Amino acid sequence: MNKKEWTITPHYRLSDFDFKVIWHYRYLLCQLIHRDVVAFYKQTVLGPLWFFIQPLFSTTIYTLIFGTFAKVSTDGLPQPLFYLAGIITWNYFSECINKTSLVFRENVNIFGKVYFPRIIVPLGIVISVFIRFGIQFILFLTCLIIYNCIGHELSINWAIGLFPLLVLLMALQGLGMGMIIAALTVKYRDLIFLISFGLQLLMYTTTVIYPLSTAPLNLKWIIQINPMTAIIETFRYAFLGRGSFSWQALCYSTAITTIIISIGIIVFSKAEKTFIDTI
Amino acid sequence: MSAIVIKAENLSKVYLKGQISHGTLIRDFESWLARFRKKADPYQQIDKVRNTPGNDKIWVLKNINFEITKGEIIAITGDNGAGKSTLLKILSRVTLPTSGKITGKGRITSLLEIGAGFHPELTGRENIFLNGAMLGMPKSQIKDHFDEITRFANIKEHLETPVKRYSSGMYMRLAFSVAAHLESEIMIIDEIMAVGDSSFQQKCIDKIKQLSKENAKTILLVSHSAKNIKSLCCREIALVKGQIK
Repeated sequence: MNKKEWTITPHYRLSDFDFKVIWHYRYLLCQLIHRDVVAFYKQTVLGPLWFFIQPLFSTTIYTLIFGTFAKVSTDGLPQPLFYLAGIITWNYFSECINKTSLVFRENVNIFGKVYFPRIIVPLGIVISVFIRFGIQFILFLTCLIIYNCIGHELSINWAIGLFPLLVLLMALQGLGMGMIIAALTVKYRDLIFLISFGLQLLMYTTTVIYPLSTAPLNLKWIIQINPMTAIIETFRYAFLGRGSFSWQALCYSTAITTIIISIGIIVFSKAEKTFIDTI
Repeated sequence: MSAIVIKAENLSKVYLKGQISHGTLIRDFESWLARFRKKADPYQQIDKVRNTPGNDKIWVLKNINFEITKGEIIAITGDNGAGKSTLLKILSRVTLPTSGKITGKGRITSLLEIGAGFHPELTGRENIFLNGAMLGMPKSQIKDHFDEITRFANIKEHLETPVKRYSSGMYMRLAFSVAAHLESEIMIIDEIMAVGDSSFQQKCIDKIKQLSKENAKTILLVSHSAKNIKSLCCREIALVKGQIK
């Protein structure tokens, strides 16, 4: 950046996008992550405990409603483990979308006055949400060990080697979709109201509360289209030993993720240049 | 010494009066579809009848040309709405121009508003780091200049207080101090000097002079105070309704 020549022209060209600037602003990235993580529990009594309470609550509710009342199959797995696995992965993905999609709206004041590559903010979000996911993942592992102690046999297998890939896919998918929505909401505020509804719809079309194996044959494709399905199923397969794992599905998910993140980066970088005039 | 650091050519910025876009996704989509099928835009005609062309546009900046050489202090002057802030915003990359081009050399730190990018809940110390990071500085550099920054802003005893409890003067001093002490070649300041008391204003003016002289920093500032402009003995770019007088 030093002494480097620059030009400002009316049009944004894709070739202007430069991954090096992210490296240059890495310290800002750290600062933003720190701010996000700390701000989550500032002025709360229970503090970081909220990271645990949230998924535990959801798991209890799901176990009661879907497991006990509706008697949805869990592939023979203990219900709390089954739901917890789905919930923490889904939460990570949906939080990424949720927060990223509001990036422009919530930072108008800063973005209007200081320039830095805007993409740093969504990146910071994805990483700070990841820290939360990491903590919840430890909770999940603890539950796994508890179940093992009370006699449920552990069936962790080789597929846990895919865990980093799964996390990366979730992060990029959430980031990409969030950035697309963020770019669109600059002009169309309507989308903000649709996000929570849309996310719910997406959740029911993936395997958070039911296993893929119980889906009716003629509707299975709807669930399989959802790129999150392969991720959640692989996650369950890796840690709990049940789930529909297939390389095909995983490749499909990877391909879709690549497309989403590419479109996301393109529209986001376009929108960031002039959104301040529109929003 | 007379190296040109910023050069603007035919720079223009147009804002639209009133509503941007048709307001709904469906209408935008229909327009887009029509364009795609090379048919007449169903909504365009209505708009044309309602607004004669050119009527709904405001040229905030119109064909601006200027050159700034290294180490110069430039004051941009003009009435409200003359386009001063828009020009600085384009230079700071917050928004893009509608046409024209600017070429330049060197890093820019801009101070478009007092404490922009400060987080009210964080302390003065944390904000120095956050703000410095936003201006693109690495941690080591902020650390190196940390003492200078606090000394200049004169807020040593308030470093651990959240900035939401700062007075506007303290806020301003801190913001100016962070931007002034970080290594960059060009500094942009939008009428922020009005806030500090006269002794701090004088301090800022001295600092600006020193930066320009010793560090060969180029400085662009907007000011309404003729006195300040005079004491900085700088070149003036006077804007009148988006054009250079």
